[in-house]
Amino acid sequence: MTAQIELSHIQKHYGSFHALKDVSLRIEKGSFVALVGPSGCGKSTLLRSIAGLETISSGELSIAGKTMTGVPPRHRDIAMVFQSYALYPHMTVEENLTYSLRLHGVGKAEAKAKAAEVAQTTGLSQLLPRYPRQLSGGQRQRVAMGRAIIRNPKAFLFDEPLSNLDAALRVQMRKEIRALHDRLGATSVYVTHDQIEAMTMADWVVVMRDGIIEQQGRPLDLYDHPVNRFVAGFIGSPAMNFVEAQIAEDGTTLVLKTGERIALPRQVEPNRAVTAGMRPENLTIANGPPSFHFTIGNIESTGSATYLTSDDGALQLVQSERANRAVGDRVGVSIDPAQIHLFDPQSGKRI
Amino acid sequence: MGRFFAGLRDGVGFDILLVTVAMIFLVAMAGLPLIYNVLMSFQQVDMFTLGSFIRPFAGIQNYIDVVRAPEFWLVTRNTVIFVFFSMAGQFVLGFALALFFAQNFPGASTIRGLFLVSWVMPGLVVGAIWSWILAGDFGVLNTILRNLGIIQSTVFWKSDPAFSIWAVVIANIWLGLAFNMLLLSVGLAAIPRDLYEAAELDGANAFQRFWTITLPMMRSTIGAVLSLGLIGTLQQFDLFPAITEGGPANTSTVAQYWSWQMSFQLYDFAKGATISVMMLVLVLFASIIYVRSTRHEVRG
Amino acid sequence: MTRPFIPWLLLAVALALAAVYLFPLYWMYVTSFKSGSEIFANPPTFWPRDIDASIYPDVWTRRTMHVFLWNSTLIAAGVTAITVIFGTGCAYVLARYRNVWVDIGLFSILMLQVLPASVMVTPLFVAFNQFGLLNYPRTAVVLAAAAKAMPFFVVLVRATFMTVPRELEEAALVDGNSRVGAFFSIVLPLARNGILVCAILTFMSSFGEYIYSKSIIQSPALQPASVGLSGFLGPNSTDWNSIMAYSAIYVTPILAVFVLLQRRIVSGLTSGALK
Repeated sequence: MTAQIELSHIQKHYGSFHALKDVSLRIEKGSFVALVGPSGCGKSTLLRSIAGLETISSGELSIAGKTMTGVPPRHRDIAMVFQSYALYPHMTVEENLTYSLRLHGVGKAEAKAKAAEVAQTTGLSQLLPRYPRQLSGGQRQRVAMGRAIIRNPKAFLFDEPLSNLDAALRVQMRKEIRALHDRLGATSVYVTHDQIEAMTMADWVVVMRDGIIEQQGRPLDLYDHPVNRFVAGFIGSPAMNFVEAQIAEDGTTLVLKTGERIALPRQVEPNRAVTAGMRPENLTIANGPPSFHFTIGNIESTGSATYLTSDDGALQLVQSERANRAVGDRVGVSIDPAQIHLFDPQSGKRI
Repeated sequence: MGRFFAGLRDGVGFDILLVTVAMIFLVAMAGLPLIYNVLMSFQQVDMFTLGSFIRPFAGIQNYIDVVRAPEFWLVTRNTVIFVFFSMAGQFVLGFALALFFAQNFPGASTIRGLFLVSWVMPGLVVGAIWSWILAGDFGVLNTILRNLGIIQSTVFWKSDPAFSIWAVVIANIWLGLAFNMLLLSVGLAAIPRDLYEAAELDGANAFQRFWTITLPMMRSTIGAVLSLGLIGTLQQFDLFPAITEGGPANTSTVAQYWSWQMSFQLYDFAKGATISVMMLVLVLFASIIYVRSTRHEVRG
Repeated sequence: MTRPFIPWLLLAVALALAAVYLFPLYWMYVTSFKSGSEIFANPPTFWPRDIDASIYPDVWTRRTMHVFLWNSTLIAAGVTAITVIFGTGCAYVLARYRNVWVDIGLFSILMLQVLPASVMVTPLFVAFNQFGLLNYPRTAVVLAAAAKAMPFFVVLVRATFMTVPRELEEAALVDGNSRVGAFFSIVLPLARNGILVCAILTFMSSFGEYIYSKSIIQSPALQPASVGLSGFLGPNSTDWNSIMAYSAIYVTPILAVFVLLQRRIVSGLTSGALK
């Protein structure tokens, strides 16, 4: 596999603000890469730099083997779907779809045929003569998609394309975009702040914070082996629990604040402070001997799942059965020790 | 060279080109004359030196001459009256109308829009109409006031030294009122309705709501309207030649008209420039207030 | 507690206020239809006894209004053309960027907006004289008045451009257009209405331009209608029905355009006037 998009040591400054700090990334041909992170982390800036809408301060960017630093967007052969869709309000759906073709000198008849074909795949056939203002949110989203796919570009860039849709439509469009990607064999870069979108759609997830790539990898690798506390807390819903704890002198026992001890399956540096991360879905109410105890402070039930929160708010547990407990109950909780993540309390790095 | 044209099509070169053309024009037609004006106010300018840039340096003699001129204090008084009462009238009436048209009734915005015709009319025509309305013996204003019992005898608005400046003030209030109203209406419309509802639930009556919500929320608008009013009043020129021509005996001459008379009726360009430089200081003061009160909007 | 009659009461008050406010306009038209003796009737008549429109053709020929109005149109068209061509691009750039240079540019334009024409006319006249521009007086007036009109135009049109989402232009760039192409095919069409309204406002205000024309244009054959009006207007005028007829001919086109486009003009102003 060849790298379709390659970024090496990208820096971006806005005045005194350092938006991208030495970012390097390879995006393989045909892959679906999600850039995810909290707002202001630089993911949109990175995407817009690939598109050429932002000039990078230093570093090198190539698309399909050609250096693209300083090349204007129109010579990069990429397509982009914007958060606001950016449909041209003074053009019909058909004109919106064929705008790029017309710019590239494609003949009228051919453009029309192409538009009809794309409208077919995106379910817009009936809407071609309409104006964007006459469309619903979902339909506009499809036009934005159609406008991107009509050109068969080297890469698709998505900038939070689903965030203006309601929840049900979002779930549906997630599947459609992924299916479209597979059918076209395209290369896609997808920016989102929603880690569920990133996890479900992408084959490669890049987690960013403060202009730095914190971790990249396959979605489940990120879930199973987060390299630091930030990634651990960002990936997974509900978020991972973190408790401060101590490693005993033998190096294989985790000592909680309450004094309860959990045997670890591996050897770590003895006598040190750690942050222990435990995913809510890995905690269960113990039938046998518990790993530790907590007092229930709050019970929330969505019907399919029940969330139990400890009275100090530090721990959350999710179970699929209904709760037969009440607030104030003290329960024993067990966890497979292999599923406990340990982080350095200062640096947040995985131990 | 290729890079240069590529920059024009794709880069910031395009933006720089667009902005530079406009800026060069504005600097040539407004910036340089402004500087030239200040320069002339320190020079001796007469018919012989009008055509050359290098003229005898006059120091501050022009300023001394202007201040010592017999009509100087009269013109200053007139300018103050004209500016203050025009602004006050435009603002108070404009605000009252803006509050009135902020009520919800059919046709409110259309009727409010009709008021703006005064704003698009040439100043000279407005002056001509008011000159006729304010005429002494046959003017309709005197008739109306007499029928209302406000005055007993005829008021010679334009030729009585006690009233001549007020004639122009009345016309100017009419002229500027609508624009004030429009700007204040925009400010009023920007206040969220639920603030008033919350205040009403808190027990504020209409008067208290005006003082505690409307006025504080409109602070920047009011600042902008007042400074624009000051600027607009100092720019008002057309009414003077149309109504009084500054007379009788300079009792309705204001600084901007005096400056023009100096240059174009007495051909004393140096004094004309001197008076306008003195006025400019006032205008700059007003614009600083204006820019300060709109700064948050300039920055968005 | 609903009081359905209140809105109608307010409407009646509003109409009364408008009638009072617009009385000067009414008086202009009424006077122009009165005979020479009726205008001096005491008390004045609020409706002409005999409607007499003969003064209109009379004023038109006696005052060579076709020459004046043609000059006004030429000057206004020139001012509008320069303002739109130079001002639109400038407004676009000032709307597109946010940095310290744009702030400086905006600040200087606001400063230029406040300069009174009566301040500028003296140095402009002297400078035009030195550069020989006074030999082309209408051109000189167009240049001076365009510089006066442009700041206001730029401030208003900038507000229009700010309502065009930046993403649309970026989408056009990604779709394969150049900056120039995106400006002309996407941004300009979307800002067209706002630009048009501002252009009309510029035209209307320069159609009534007086001070530069009065000071710079000496030859009556080149003067605009405002200077023509001032020729028989003064504190001691008596020829009121001619003056009002002249005024009516002069402003009726402006008023007609304004009333037709009132909605657009007001909304264009309200969106941009305070920015």
